[in-house]
Amino acid sequence: MLKVTNLFKRINVHWVVTPVLILASAFVTNAVIMLLCNYNPLEAYQAAVSGAFGNSRKFGETLVKSTPFLMTGLSVAMAFRCGIWNIGAEGQFLMGALAATWFGTKLAPLFPETPWIAVPICLGLAMLAGGIWGLIPAILKVTRGVNEVISTIMLNYVALHLVSMMIDGGPLQETAQRGPQSDRIAEWVFLPRLFPPHRVHLGIVIAVVLAIILTFILFRTAFGYQLRAVGEGSAAAEAAGISIMHNTLRVFFISGALAGLGGAIELTALTRRLFLNFSPGYGYTAIAVALLAKLNPLVTVAAALLFGALSTGSYSMQRTVGISDKVTFVMQATILLFVIGYSSVQLFRKRTSSHSE
Amino acid sequence: MQKENILELRNITKTFGDFVAVDSVDFELQAGEIHAILGENGAGKSTLMNLIYGLYQPSDGRIYVTDREGWRRRLRAKSPRDAIVSGIGMVHQHFMLVESLTVAENIALSLGQVRRGSAGNPSENGAYKKALGKFRFKKEDAIHITEALSEQFGLTVDPGALVRTLSVGLKQRVEILKALAVDARILILDEPTAVLSPQEVEGFFTILRKLQADGRAIIFISHKMKEVLNISDRITVLRRGKKVYLGPTGELTARGLAREMIGEEINEVERSVWVGLPNPYESDPPDSVLQLSNLTVLGSRNEIAVSDISMATRRGEIVGIAGVDGNGQRELAEAIMGLRHSESGTVNILGTDPKGTKAVRQRGVGYIPEDRQTTGVIASFSVTENLLLNVTHLENTARWNVLNQRRKQNTAEQLIADYDIRPPIGGIPAAALSGGNQQKIVLAREISLHPDLLIAVNPTRGLDVNAARYVHENLLAQRNQSKSVLLISTELDEVLLLSDRLFVMSRGKLIEATAQRNDIEALGLLMTGQTHKDFGGNGC
Repeated sequence: MLKVTNLFKRINVHWVVTPVLILASAFVTNAVIMLLCNYNPLEAYQAAVSGAFGNSRKFGETLVKSTPFLMTGLSVAMAFRCGIWNIGAEGQFLMGALAATWFGTKLAPLFPETPWIAVPICLGLAMLAGGIWGLIPAILKVTRGVNEVISTIMLNYVALHLVSMMIDGGPLQETAQRGPQSDRIAEWVFLPRLFPPHRVHLGIVIAVVLAIILTFILFRTAFGYQLRAVGEGSAAAEAAGISIMHNTLRVFFISGALAGLGGAIELTALTRRLFLNFSPGYGYTAIAVALLAKLNPLVTVAAALLFGALSTGSYSMQRTVGISDKVTFVMQATILLFVIGYSSVQLFRKRTSSHSE
Repeated sequence: MQKENILELRNITKTFGDFVAVDSVDFELQAGEIHAILGENGAGKSTLMNLIYGLYQPSDGRIYVTDREGWRRRLRAKSPRDAIVSGIGMVHQHFMLVESLTVAENIALSLGQVRRGSAGNPSENGAYKKALGKFRFKKEDAIHITEALSEQFGLTVDPGALVRTLSVGLKQRVEILKALAVDARILILDEPTAVLSPQEVEGFFTILRKLQADGRAIIFISHKMKEVLNISDRITVLRRGKKVYLGPTGELTARGLAREMIGEEINEVERSVWVGLPNPYESDPPDSVLQLSNLTVLGSRNEIAVSDISMATRRGEIVGIAGVDGNGQRELAEAIMGLRHSESGTVNILGTDPKGTKAVRQRGVGYIPEDRQTTGVIASFSVTENLLLNVTHLENTARWNVLNQRRKQNTAEQLIADYDIRPPIGGIPAAALSGGNQQKIVLAREISLHPDLLIAVNPTRGLDVNAARYVHENLLAQRNQSKSVLLISTELDEVLLLSDRLFVMSRGKLIEATAQRNDIEALGLLMTGQTHKDFGGNGC
C-alpha cells in the first residue's frame, strides 16, 4: 500500500519538478556561456523576459511565434502517444503550407471576396495535404514494415525540395519571376488578425481550442483510449481487439493534418506567401516541445509558449544587450539538449521500473 | 550427522519503505543438502533469494558464507558479482541468457564477469580464465570449457548451438552450466521445474542429486509440493516474510505444509462438487462453440508451430490442453484469437468465421493470455483503464465514442470489489499491483462478460494457492453456466483437475488423451512427443 502511494507521489512530483529542473539547468548553463562571452547574464535575461512579456504587443508577438510550435507540437504529441515516432512534422507542415499557397494563389479567385468560405476550404485542404503526407509513411509501415523514423525524415527532404521545385521556376513561382517565392495569396484567404495592427491572429485561438479538443479525445473517448493503448502496450491492445493497423493509419493522418494546418495558419496569417526556408525547423523543434509537455496536448500549449518566448526573448537580447545571434542559437540548443536529456532519462526509468515486479 | 553450514542468514530483515518483505529470518544451508523453500506469492521467497544473490542488500541482519578454504566470513554482496565470487549461483525463473549467442559464448560471458570482479578466480582450472580476455574472446577455449563441464556433470548440450534455438529444458541446463562454470557451491534454483515435462523433471532431479553428491548445496524454490517432498532434504516455509517452519522433509505431509504456508486449512477446488451439478443447458448432440478444422499455424520463425489440428469445444465443458511449454500452445491460442495468421484450415466460432481479433471478440470470446505483463495488462495504464481493455467493454462504456466516466468508474469499482483486486484503488497503475492482482484484473475483465468461449492460457502461472483456486472456481463457474472453456496449461495437475476432456499438445500436434487421464506415465510420454502409435524418429 505504502509503496503504491510513494509511486503516485513520485509521478506527480515529476510533473512539476522536471520542467523546472530542465529550465533551471538550461538557464544556469546559458549564464555560464554568456559569462564566457563577456555578457552580463542577468541583464540578458532581463532583456529576454521584457522582450517576450514586456507589454501587450511583445506578448502578442510571443503568442504569434508560439503558434507553429504549438501546432507541430500537437502533431508530434498525438503520434508519440500512439507509439508512432513521427519525425515528419516538418514535411507535413510544409505540405500544408504548399496546399494553402496553391489554393490562395490559384483557386481563391473561384471564391471571390468570401473569406468565410475560402479560409475554411484553404485550411481544410492544407490539413488534407498534411494528412496524406502523413499517410505515406503510415502505409509503408503497415504494409511493408518500414520504420517510420526513417521514412518520415526522408519525406521531410522530399517535401522541402517539392516546395522549392514549385516556387523556384515551378508553377507556383510569383508572376514577376524575380525570386524563389510564390505570389501573395488572395486577400480574402488571409486568416483574420484579432487586434490589428497587432499580429495576433485567429490561428492562435484555433490552436488552443484544438489542444483542448485533443486532450478530450485522448483521455475521454474510446478512440483516444485505443490510441493510447496501442502506444503503451501494443500487444495487450491487439489482444483486446484493438487494431494496430487502423490506429497507425488514423494517428498518422491526424498528426499530419495538424502539422499541415500549422503550416497553413503560418502562411495565411503571417507570411502570406511561400518562400524557401519557410520553416526554420518547426517540425523538429516540435519534438522537444511535445516531450517537454509529456505528450499532453494541454501542457503542449505551455511548452509552445516557452519556445515562442525563447524566440522573441533571444531577439530582444540581441538588440538590447548586443548578444550575437550565434550565442542565442547556442542557448536555444542548450535548452533542447536538456529537454531531450531529461525526457530520455524518464522514458528509461519508466521502462526499467515497469519490468521489476 | 550434523554437516557444516555453508551459508548462514542471521536475523535478516528487508524493508521497502514501511513494507517488511523479509522479517528477521534465520536460515542455514548445509553443504550437500537440497533445501526447499516454500511459500505463497509475496511470502518473501524471491526477496530472500535476491538478498543472498546480492540483488538487494538487507536492511538488517548478517549473511555468512563459508569459502572454499573453509573460512566463515561475512558476505556483503553489493551486486550479484560479489555473490558469484563467493560461490553463489542462481538460476532465475526467467532465464538470463543472451539468446543470440551460442552456448559456449554465454558460458564465457559468465566467466568473464567473475574474472573482472574478483582478485582470485574461484575456478581452479586455469584454462577457464582464458576464454574471455580483456580484449578478445577465445572461441576454442570457450567450447572446450563448455564440453568439459558438460561431461563432468552429465549436462549434455551442444556448445556451438545458438541459445535461441534451444528448448526450454536445454536453456535451463545452460543456466546451470553457467553457475557451475564459475564453480558455484551454492545453487539457488527459482521454480526450476515450471518449464519442464514430467520426464524432464525426472532427468533434472537426477542432475540435482549428482550435484548434491558433488558436495554442492542447493536452494530449491517451488510451488509444487510433490516435487519438494520428492527432492529436498529439508524444508523451510515462509509466510508473510517470516520463517514459520523448518524441518526435515517427511516430517509434515503436503497438507501440513500447505497449512503452514497459508496459515489456515486450505480447500482445494473439489471438482466433483462442481462437476456434479446438473447442467441444464447441455444438449444432445451438444453444440460446438469452437470448431478447429485442419488448422496449421506458423510460428515466429516460420516453423510449423501448429500442425493440422482438428477439434471442437462444446457448451458446458472445459477442454484442457496439457503440454510442455513451446509446443505450439501459444500459437494455437493466438490463431484462435485472430492474433496470428492461420496458414491453412479454419477457426469456426459459433458457426461463423470471424476475421481479426475484434471480430473474434465481438463473437463473445474471452482471452486470458499467457503473458499477463505484456499481453494481459498495460502496466502504465490505471487499474480502471485496464478493466476496459476489451473492445466489448469499450463499446459498452462509450456512446458516440465518448467514454461515460460514471459508467467506467462504476464498472471498475464493481469489478474491483467482485474480484477482490488489491489494493482496491482504480486510479493506480497496474504496474503497482502484484502478479496475482494483475491476473485478477484480466479475469475480471474477461469473465465478467460471461463469454461463450473463454481461452485461458496458463491462467494460474505464478499465482499462489488461494489465487489459483479462485481462478479455478471462475473457470468452473463458466462451465456450469453452459459456456465453453479452452484451458491451455503447462500445469498438468491443473488440466487434470479441471478438464472434462483432455488433450495433449506436443510438437504442434494435438492428441486426445481423455482416456489416459489417470495414467501420468502415459500422459508424460504423450507430452514428450510419443503418440499412441509412436510415430518414432523424435528422440530428444
